[in-house]
Amino acid sequence: MNWDWQFTFEVVLPRLLPVVPVTIQATVLSFLLAVVLGLFLMLLRISRFKLIAVPAGELIELIRGTPLLVQLFFLFFLLPEVGITLPPLTTGILGIGIYNAALCAEVYRAGIQAVPAGQWEAAKALNLGAYRTWRDIIIPQSLPPIVPALGNYLIGIFKETPLLSFLAVGELMHASKLIGSEYYRFTEAVTLAGLFFLVMSLVAAVLVRMVETRVSRSILR
Amino acid sequence: MNTRVAAIAVLVAFLAGMVFATFSELRVFLPALLRGALITIEVAALSFLLMTASAFTAGVARLSPWWSVRWIATAYVEVFRGTSLLVQLFWFFFVLPEFGLTLSPMAAGVLGVGFNFGAYGAEIVRGAITAVPRGQWEAAAALNLPVFRRMTRIVLPQALVVVIPPFGNLTIEMVKATSVVSAVTLVDITYASVQQNQLHYRTVEIFVVTLFLYYCFSQLIRFSMGLLEERSKRHLAATR
Amino acid sequence: MTEPRIKFENVCKRYGPLTVLDGLNMEVAAGELVTIIGPSGSGKTTVLRVLMTLETIEEGLITIDGEPFNKMRSREGGLVPASTAHLRRIRARIGMVFQNFNLFPHMTALGNCIEAPIHSLGLSKAEAVGRAEELLDMVGLSDKRDHYPSQLSGGQQQRVAIARALAMRPEILLFDEPTSALDPEMVDEVLQVIRQLATEHSYTMLLVTHQMGFAREVSGRVCFFDGGKFLEEGPPREFFASPRHERTRQFLNKVLAAH
Repeated sequence: MNWDWQFTFEVVLPRLLPVVPVTIQATVLSFLLAVVLGLFLMLLRISRFKLIAVPAGELIELIRGTPLLVQLFFLFFLLPEVGITLPPLTTGILGIGIYNAALCAEVYRAGIQAVPAGQWEAAKALNLGAYRTWRDIIIPQSLPPIVPALGNYLIGIFKETPLLSFLAVGELMHASKLIGSEYYRFTEAVTLAGLFFLVMSLVAAVLVRMVETRVSRSILR
Repeated sequence: MNTRVAAIAVLVAFLAGMVFATFSELRVFLPALLRGALITIEVAALSFLLMTASAFTAGVARLSPWWSVRWIATAYVEVFRGTSLLVQLFWFFFVLPEFGLTLSPMAAGVLGVGFNFGAYGAEIVRGAITAVPRGQWEAAAALNLPVFRRMTRIVLPQALVVVIPPFGNLTIEMVKATSVVSAVTLVDITYASVQQNQLHYRTVEIFVVTLFLYYCFSQLIRFSMGLLEERSKRHLAATR
Repeated sequence: MTEPRIKFENVCKRYGPLTVLDGLNMEVAAGELVTIIGPSGSGKTTVLRVLMTLETIEEGLITIDGEPFNKMRSREGGLVPASTAHLRRIRARIGMVFQNFNLFPHMTALGNCIEAPIHSLGLSKAEAVGRAEELLDMVGLSDKRDHYPSQLSGGQQQRVAIARALAMRPEILLFDEPTSALDPEMVDEVLQVIRQLATEHSYTMLLVTHQMGFAREVSGRVCFFDGGKFLEEGPPREFFASPRHERTRQFLNKVLAAH
């Protein structure tokens, strides 16, 4: 069995390239949703009211402790039953976003808790208000561990998008599956999809490392 | 201590749920889900063995004095971490046969999951080995221990203590990731629940049970890794 | 004429632009105790580390009883870089005690002392245990044999480390600042063990230390190391009473004033 270049250029590439934007769109939107929703989840999680904090913590644990794919299927089947009809891509973005929001919430919390207690006390001793304390003291110090972790989640989300093919979303993996079942040749399509993910995540890893050094340099001099 | 209570509570709840389910209408889909759970457990257990083996092999190989060994190990880690698990499963199941190597669904699933997570585990192992103080290597060399013994008797046992907690988390991620093995036609819990849902349209019940089963697996692993961790560092608590 | 036990000929060691050993020459006779002193960071520890083959050297030859160590004789009679087997064979004659003890934290005191005799010398377990118990008794720790390093004080850990090195039956013992990491009240118990080794046994010993009083008391010869070589050496009484070199005088004044 060998690689068929003609098949690659005439069938595989023309069908894979147009769906690359779908993968990227799903990645970016899920990431944004995760970052914002994660912030809310974190705020609930660290609430002073046990009645809010405990269920929020359990919810985060439940989301983190179960597979994303099952959650995707759940949403996919549940939403229409309760009368919400969404395109599969939107459902998928929602699912990936919620799952990663739970992960982000824990990253935020860890970052904030890593700021030494002395910093809170110093801010109080200087009579800074809550807003100033968060904005000028706590958040700048908690960013260096948070930023690279978020970067890694961005790469993680990117690699989770093939799961959307289970919901018949027309992204890369789905397209290569279709090519495979139509022509009974999987080699070119699956390998190209793999290469695409490999190159993109290596590039993304380099970018994340660059941002990471910038952030830690700008904040800690 | 807390995790222990949680794990026991979860188990009790699970058993109670089973009893309840047997006498209710959950009966129609539960057997199929449990058969799926057995497949999930089988894939996960075999993958765990492969993951551990390849993590330690590649993790040690990445620190080898020979550049060719280092290079192969690095390529393995980067390729398997850089591409998606789903892509790798497809590759093992649909592409390898075109090269003349046909794998059973179970073999393809285990190879995909095991090698994928082994690549992540390799980084944990490598980090743990480099975290063992240089003085330990030097003392072992000064005592004239052969290189292999330095690794197996002195460095790896100390690295193991550092490896266990992140390895526990990785194992939980691995079990969750087995949910995609339906891509290679295995009927695991996830796929069983999709099938049952299409038959019976009881979305909430079916998926709550499925999520709960996965959650039990996670807690069980967390609990046993906690025990292992306690055991492994009994003597090291006060060092350095 | 007998060969010196240890001989350094024109040994050079560089870290990038930094020259740590600069054409070092040294001879140590069998049974001699030589103390190496010198400013911190001067690289005197490197002399021991090079001899233990923890560091490689760029130039020069180290011989043990006339036999090349960092090199070996090829079949044609010339010198070629030493093989691992050659290094291991010669290294078996050298034991080392580290500044930070470097005990294996996952093994008991006894476990530390039998590991290498079993796996490197090939002793039976019973034999290794017997030997280790004797040595632990000698350093005064027979009651601590089943303790883990984390359960021992610094001084006790260092004494276990000495027993561990002795368990390999070396002819040459290297001490790399053995008391520098210890709290002051534990220094004496370790020095007492080294003193005992010096007076009652016939080891060839190299000792890097900042304990000037101890150096004066036990050593047969004191060497002052600075700038990659030995600037001055001599019997301790003469060395401390009338150092010839200006740098030696400055160093001794500074160190002795601090005490």
